Amino acid sequence: MVTDMNDTEFDGHLQELRRGTIVLASLQLLRTPGYGYGLLEQLASAGFPTDANTLYPLLRRLEKQGYLDSEWNTDEARPRKFYRTSEAGIRLATTLTQEVAAIAAATAALREEEN
Amino acid sequence: MTATLTDRYIMATVRSLPEALQTEVRDELRASIADAVDARTENGEPLEHAERAVLTELGDPGVLAAGYADRPLHLIGPKYYLTWWRLLKILLAIVPACAFGGVAIAQALSGAGVGEIIGEAIAVALSVIVHVSFWTTLVFFVLERTGADTGARWSVDQLPDESHSGTARADLIASLVMLALFAGLLLWDQLRGWVPSDDAPMSILNPELWPWGIGALIVLLVVEAGLALAVFARGRWTMTLAWINAAIAVCVMSLGLTALGRGVLFNPRFVDEVFLANGVGGDAVTVLAVLSGIAIVGITVGDMVDGWRKAARSRLAV
Repeated sequence: MVTDMNDTEFDGHLQELRRGTIVLASLQLLRTPGYGYGLLEQLASAGFPTDANTLYPLLRRLEKQGYLDSEWNTDEARPRKFYRTSEAGIRLATTLTQEVAAIAAATAALREEEN
Repeated sequence: MTATLTDRYIMATVRSLPEALQTEVRDELRASIADAVDARTENGEPLEHAERAVLTELGDPGVLAAGYADRPLHLIGPKYYLTWWRLLKILLAIVPACAFGGVAIAQALSGAGVGEIIGEAIAVALSVIVHVSFWTTLVFFVLERTGADTGARWSVDQLPDESHSGTARADLIASLVMLALFAGLLLWDQLRGWVPSDDAPMSILNPELWPWGIGALIVLLVVEAGLALAVFARGRWTMTLAWINAAIAVCVMSLGLTALGRGVLFNPRFVDEVFLANGVGGDAVTVLAVLSGIAIVGITVGDMVDGWRKAARSRLAV
């Protein structure tokens, strides 16, 4: 994403801006079932770097709120908990995506006004 | 050996979680840590080093557990902080002072010495401060964790008053009227008396205080009136005026307490005829004396604090 030399200086603000987008990205990615560590890697490569200690409790919270369904997969040697975005989760993801798009459009409009 | 570090980490995380959550989180966390360690060892990192790095990255298990259990990591959060702080300020302004006064009265009535009265009252006031702070905070700590509503809402009516000339004039008039009234009462007391009497006027205050003691008090009242005018002229309280005000208050207080301490404040004939002759015991007269002392201290100290408070507030407003 945005990486420049001022990254450390703006860390606090950037973190604040990105915080809500982790939910959105996780809900979108988990339309295809996935598990904790796998999702962490997917998020990083999709441009949403996340700390493990943020993501794991977040998955649990989204599951509790009914936006994610979960199922244990014991087919492989290492049993893993797989998450999948529920119907409600898909609706939430759609709303969040629209909101981010609206914010992006509004930000772009601000820059145009400036020029 | 390598498993123990992860085991200990998982144990530390799961320990404080609700029973129902423990197994689920333990199994999932074990898989996640193992996945992360595998990813590192596949890149050629030694196993022990990889495990350490993964666990370090996950951070304090207490924080992780709080995340899983949705627990706050603060004593009192923004939802309750201001309500807590306002309530605590009000309680600390009222309760320790009441406790101090109450203990002082009780000690004085039981015939304790001055040092003992002050020492005991301060000790009790200090322990009251600690108790009030602790229990108030505990209540809000519980509220924070139960998510209850305190019902405290902010409204525009709570905005602090802005001082303007209207209130300054009203203040001036009020203090002049009060001072004049008080001076008038003093003179009436000495010259005319209250109780119908055949010979000399029956005053409440000791006639021996006339003219010097009462005169000094009236001089102080005049100075106080001058101060009220100075405040009005300046348009606001300043720290200098507040200190002058405090000095006047100290003079009034020492005058009153000295007379009271020597037993010459009240007219002995008044005490005899009104109290003792009507069957009021000597104990009750002592109580009356103690209460008078408390009243003198309370009123003068209150006046001093009021001056400083107004000076501090007007300094903020400027």
